[in-house]
Amino acid sequence: MNAVQPTPSGQPTPSERLSGAQPAPQRAELLEFIAFMGALCLFFSTLEYLFPKPFPFFRLGLANLPVLIAMKLVPMRYVLLLVLLKVLGHGLINGTLASYVFLFSFGGSFASVFVMLGVYRLAGRHISLVGISVFGAIASNVVQIYLSVTFIFGLTAWVIAPLFVGLGVFSGVLVGLFAQQFYEQSRWLEGIRGYFAAS
Amino acid sequence: MATSQRRDPFMARHFAPQHLFLTGALLIPAFLFQPNLFVRVGQVLLFAQLATANGKRIKWIYFVVMVSSVTVFNLFTPFGEILFTVGPLSITRGALQSGLEKGVTIVGLVFVSLASIRPDLRLPGRLGGMIGRVFYYFERVIEGKKRIRPRRLIESLDEILFELYRPGERRAEADGPLRSTTTLGYAAMAMLVGLNWALVFLASPIGT
Repeated sequence: MNAVQPTPSGQPTPSERLSGAQPAPQRAELLEFIAFMGALCLFFSTLEYLFPKPFPFFRLGLANLPVLIAMKLVPMRYVLLLVLLKVLGHGLINGTLASYVFLFSFGGSFASVFVMLGVYRLAGRHISLVGISVFGAIASNVVQIYLSVTFIFGLTAWVIAPLFVGLGVFSGVLVGLFAQQFYEQSRWLEGIRGYFAAS
Repeated sequence: MATSQRRDPFMARHFAPQHLFLTGALLIPAFLFQPNLFVRVGQVLLFAQLATANGKRIKWIYFVVMVSSVTVFNLFTPFGEILFTVGPLSITRGALQSGLEKGVTIVGLVFVSLASIRPDLRLPGRLGGMIGRVFYYFERVIEGKKRIRPRRLIESLDEILFELYRPGERRAEADGPLRSTTTLGYAAMAMLVGLNWALVFLASPIGT
């Protein structure tokens, strides 16, 4: 496999990257890309605080954006690695790694990615990123409600399940819409797509 | 450099990240084995103070809502002596105490975590190396945050992304300064762990 080699004087320009056939990426390149996408997950989770929350425990799930996009670009095991980096990075930055918040984040994120990958595999081109995102958001919310019932609130907490699943669908649609738009319009992603299409 | 070090929170100046993590790991069982609810509340306040000393901002309203909601949900499973009734619901001592204990414990564990974990804590192995790369890029992405324009969101994001990552390009590893634990840090660590473990044996349980 021939990865693109940087020129001695610097890096290839974006136009050089975007033009013509591109070689298949090496494993190191894929890992580097996943690390970058992990950083974008953390970045989008910091943007989340800019939006008002209708409920204290509600999250839009913007950090899921890079995961949604990565699903279309890299093999499944790298998507799972990205999710692991996302939850660990989030736990380290926020200091919640040793608390129940991490358990919820871990459970919700992995439930979401397994469902999204499954749906994407089954439906392929027949489902948009909006649909995948909604499935992921529902899975994440159901698992988090289950964890909160089991570890924190007790059985009576199931009464809030419809509300939280409803909010999950709403946030899933919003995140999915933005992911779809970004996937179709971003020139940066177009270059990345061309590069990783060879893998 | 001296200026930035002066601005660092107390924990960052006096604790190596792995020693801070170890302190948290030793505090957790001392907190969980604490039989007295009032002492446990005191520990929660201490941990909140430590989290602040670690540079974390405590959102009290979030934690008040957390303890209240856990307690309220617990009240729906009554047991023990009836204290009073609210409409059809009997408020029992057992349910109230158990709900408060659970809520306070959950919040305390979050505070210990906030107090003992810093982004420069390096996890071992290749996964730790990957996390290091994530933080390397994260710091650079954050620098571009102010250049995001909501009206031309995708274009402005593209500009930043083009600057930060192009496939095939590998950037130098950015190693942060290595922190070591000071004498004051070791003393604080011994005092915190000693105090919290002593309270396990000295405090008597309440509600019995």
